[in-house]
Amino acid sequence: MHHLKFLRGGLAVYTALFIAFLYGPFVVMGILSFQKGPEGGPQFPILEWSTYWYRHVLGFAPPSRVAPLPIGEALVRSLTLAFATMVVSTVLGTLTAQAFRERFRGSGLVFYLVVLGMIVPGVLLGLGMALLANNLGIDRNWWSTAFVLHVVYTYPFAFLVMLAIFNRFDRSVEEASWMLGVTPARTFRKVTFPMIFPGVLSAMLFAFTLSYDEFPRTLFTAGSDVTMPIAIYGTFAVEIHPNLFAFGVLTTLFSFALLSVYGILMALSVRRARMRATGIQEEIA
Amino acid sequence: MAAASVTQGAAARRRQLLLLAPGVIWMLLFLVLPLAMMVYVSFWTQTTFAIKPDLTTKSWEAFFSSTTYVEALLRTLRIWLTVLVITLLIGYPTALFIGQFVRDKTVQTVLLVTCVIPFWTSFLIRVLAWRPMLGKEGAINIVLMKLGIIDAPIEALLFSELSVIIGMVQIYVVFMVGPIAFMLARIDPSLIEAARDLGASAWTIFRRILLPLSLPGVVVGAIFVSVMVLGEFATASALSGRKVNLLGNIIVTQVGSLKWAFAAVAGVILTIVTALVVTLLLRVVNLRREL
Repeated sequence: MHHLKFLRGGLAVYTALFIAFLYGPFVVMGILSFQKGPEGGPQFPILEWSTYWYRHVLGFAPPSRVAPLPIGEALVRSLTLAFATMVVSTVLGTLTAQAFRERFRGSGLVFYLVVLGMIVPGVLLGLGMALLANNLGIDRNWWSTAFVLHVVYTYPFAFLVMLAIFNRFDRSVEEASWMLGVTPARTFRKVTFPMIFPGVLSAMLFAFTLSYDEFPRTLFTAGSDVTMPIAIYGTFAVEIHPNLFAFGVLTTLFSFALLSVYGILMALSVRRARMRATGIQEEIA
Repeated sequence: MAAASVTQGAAARRRQLLLLAPGVIWMLLFLVLPLAMMVYVSFWTQTTFAIKPDLTTKSWEAFFSSTTYVEALLRTLRIWLTVLVITLLIGYPTALFIGQFVRDKTVQTVLLVTCVIPFWTSFLIRVLAWRPMLGKEGAINIVLMKLGIIDAPIEALLFSELSVIIGMVQIYVVFMVGPIAFMLARIDPSLIEAARDLGASAWTIFRRILLPLSLPGVVVGAIFVSVMVLGEFATASALSGRKVNLLGNIIVTQVGSLKWAFAAVAGVILTIVTALVVTLLLRVVNLRREL
């Protein structure tokens, strides 16, 4: 028993170190984003603490030798693309998972076909799609060729999430609704959807974040109007400046805001479900 | 009655077909077709400025007769295996702690979310953040020098194969921790209690119960890590100063110089490698039965 406690303590320390390893570069990035500008480079030592690079990212800094990040339009494109991807992949994922609630021949094949979308390395899909578009004479754009590949990537995630939700789902409630003569469409809207809503929200969150940060699939397929990750990739070739780090910190804060919205919606939906349940119980009583 | 149930069955089947059709058609058009196109184009004739649909194996011969490209293939395999083994070795203890030693579900979730939070920063920026860590005047060298462990900065930390491996391990290790912790947390505690009551040592419990039961998690994690590492090119180009070329980097360079047929050859080879690796990993356990 004694050495088990010892083992537990050792593993706890190890896990703490592991988390430090995950956060290390992130912390360094945060510190360096406060480097003096525009002279300071993306390395230690900090010449002088300043918020110059944040102002630089937001466009408040006077023009200098460091070109501003091409974020404005790219950011809007990325957000639009992520939103569209989220909607389409969640709908597709829900439809397919709904079909999987009943056994059918070839279900294994369909399952692997869908899951393949998240397994094939992105750079291959990007290449294949670029070749296809070139030979069909289709222009490559972020809203066409890149968009369909984003869905290919996020739809399997949505499908798996919805499959897990439907697996834990009590069928008899739906059947009761059909028995009472409610149409399937109305049953879905009034009975099924409220029950699967938490899953739908998770699927949407997955799809949005994956698409927003998606890079290898977009590189060859976005055409000349770049998305955010491609714009960042463009800065790889030249010298990097701390403005990228300031931007990284800002986008992380934005992600947290998004995550909070998700958390609040989730909590609200759980509370509403509980309230409705107690309401029904009171009525019965 | 029988006829009614038959038509009902047919209606149900039609409904199922309608539900399946959008997803399946999407995947056939935008997943299968592009990959097929890539295989097809790898046999086209490459001229300086364009590709022509005259079938030839020239690009394939060019790939395998060039030491640069064969080396890139071997390097991709080497880095993949290294990253896979390291992520498993340093990820497993963390997963063991989260899945087995933390019994409180809330603490478990908090720990897992803590591991996932870095993912909320753009992948490319996370890669770039390693530069000020590993550089000659980077954080690691500064700390090591201050502690008196080294006299001169280690230069091999950045712009080398090592920096690429460090970067990839940090970015992908969480994909290993998650599935393993999930499988470990599912193990019935009474199983371990019983083993302990029968006098099994901690090592025996690990070897005979925890390890086999967490194997599906290891396989899922390994598939995630493998697929992502094999298709990598951004980490390599950001942290190696374009010195370390992987198959992915070759594809990007060839597309950049409009050598589509050649890029397609590298793409097909990468597809074959990925498919082999995934099939091999699926051989270890039957995932559909285990999950």
